[in-house]
Amino acid sequence: MRHTSLVSVYISLLIALLCQLFPWVGQGIIFRPDFMLVVILYWLLRTPNLCNVGTAWFAGLMVDLATGSLLGQHALSFSIAAFIALSYQRRLVLFNTWQLTAYVAAILTIERVLILLLKLFEGNENPGWHYFWPIITGLLLWQFMIMMFGGLTRPKTN
Amino acid sequence: MLKGVHQKLEAQQTPAFFVRGPSPFSGMVFFCALSVSIMAVDARFNYLSQVRQAFIAALHPLEVVANAPSEWYRDVQKYFSAHNALVQENYALKQQAFEHQIKLQRLSTIQAENDHLRSLLNGNIPIQPKAVLGEISHMGRDPFTHTVVVNRGSQQNIKAGQAVVDSKGVIGQVTRVYPFTSEVTLITDKELSIPIQIERNQLRAIAFGEGNNTLDIPYLPTNVDIKVGDKLVTSGIDGVYPSGLAVATVTKIQQNPESPFAKIVSTPVADVSNHLQLLLLELPEAKESNLVPPSAIEVVDHKKEGETKKNSELRKNSGTEKNINHKNKAKTNAPH
Repeated sequence: MRHTSLVSVYISLLIALLCQLFPWVGQGIIFRPDFMLVVILYWLLRTPNLCNVGTAWFAGLMVDLATGSLLGQHALSFSIAAFIALSYQRRLVLFNTWQLTAYVAAILTIERVLILLLKLFEGNENPGWHYFWPIITGLLLWQFMIMMFGGLTRPKTN
Repeated sequence: MLKGVHQKLEAQQTPAFFVRGPSPFSGMVFFCALSVSIMAVDARFNYLSQVRQAFIAALHPLEVVANAPSEWYRDVQKYFSAHNALVQENYALKQQAFEHQIKLQRLSTIQAENDHLRSLLNGNIPIQPKAVLGEISHMGRDPFTHTVVVNRGSQQNIKAGQAVVDSKGVIGQVTRVYPFTSEVTLITDKELSIPIQIERNQLRAIAFGEGNNTLDIPYLPTNVDIKVGDKLVTSGIDGVYPSGLAVATVTKIQQNPESPFAKIVSTPVADVSNHLQLLLLELPEAKESNLVPPSAIEVVDHKKEGETKKNSELRKNSGTEKNINHKNKAKTNAPH
């Protein structure tokens, strides 16, 4: 259960990209979680030896290319989110589930705010409060990831 | 014991014997610098459009897979549509086609008459642009921009800048072309503006997208002759949108005493969310003859127009005709 390979990391990232490419319409796009970000955060916190800030940057670049937004926006915000995640990664064993969820929510919020700032600099309209819905749905996706691949809070037994 | 814990944490901070490459901080700094430079290059130069195109082409199979469920759903819906509904729809469509045919008969005679009059007045005959039928494959994935992605790309000779219309009116313009798909920016997007004309009084203006499903017509004085319910059509001045296509209807006019301009809000008539088919109009060739001034102006000073025509025929290749046309417009507009 505890053993993970590089293949599973990249396959789950590919599936996340596929979910990102899924034709979201109307209300769906408001609630769409940041699939790539949640998946890369999970793997960064779970197995920091398999992926690093560079992987997050690459995932962000993929999101930029897929959404057609200015190239480098998501790459920037993903690398900063990855840095925050990695800087506390070693203390995660001390966290309980709620603390961990709050921690992930904080990272998702920071990433969201960064993208918002970049978009506002670019000259876009302020999207309003519904812009922050993906944090909630992202947390649901986080719980799903934990159900799929196992939790992070238990101490390692290998 | 405390000292021991401290040492343990220190060791965790800098694990010298686990080689894990550079620290997260240096990685973050490096990749942030890289993304900022990519952003600058992408925003200022067009070097990266090729990269984007190649990537989208490579991603096409994945997109097909991602779009498959919704297409299956659509097919299943089609398969199970009831016989009764189909018969009714068929009847309604036949009636509609009949009505359109009658209108079309009148249109063709009017068109011929118009062309004839224009030729009498030495005017230019507008060219009907060719069109390619496309289908919306999905809405844009970036919630900040108003775009749709259409299943026609550079393989079908689509070029950036082409106008896109549906059965009700103008949708927008092609902004990015990929090998198999192309991105259409809607007229409601903040980046797009469209030259329009009030159908009722031929007043020309430019409408800008507001980013929230409405259009704004700025820089018009508060006493301008625009009413709620006025229809906006394309003026055809830009040479991209053919003239006379429906764009929007005026829904709200606000007069702010502090501002010299009226705030005119209109909603587009084209309905992207409800149907899938749209037409991508071919770009007109960059010729002087395509810059068709509205016929009314030509009637007003057709003598001058005739003179200038002769002059311009003498100097065929220069842009003088266009300039003169614009000057005439300025003159005719001045008394209003």
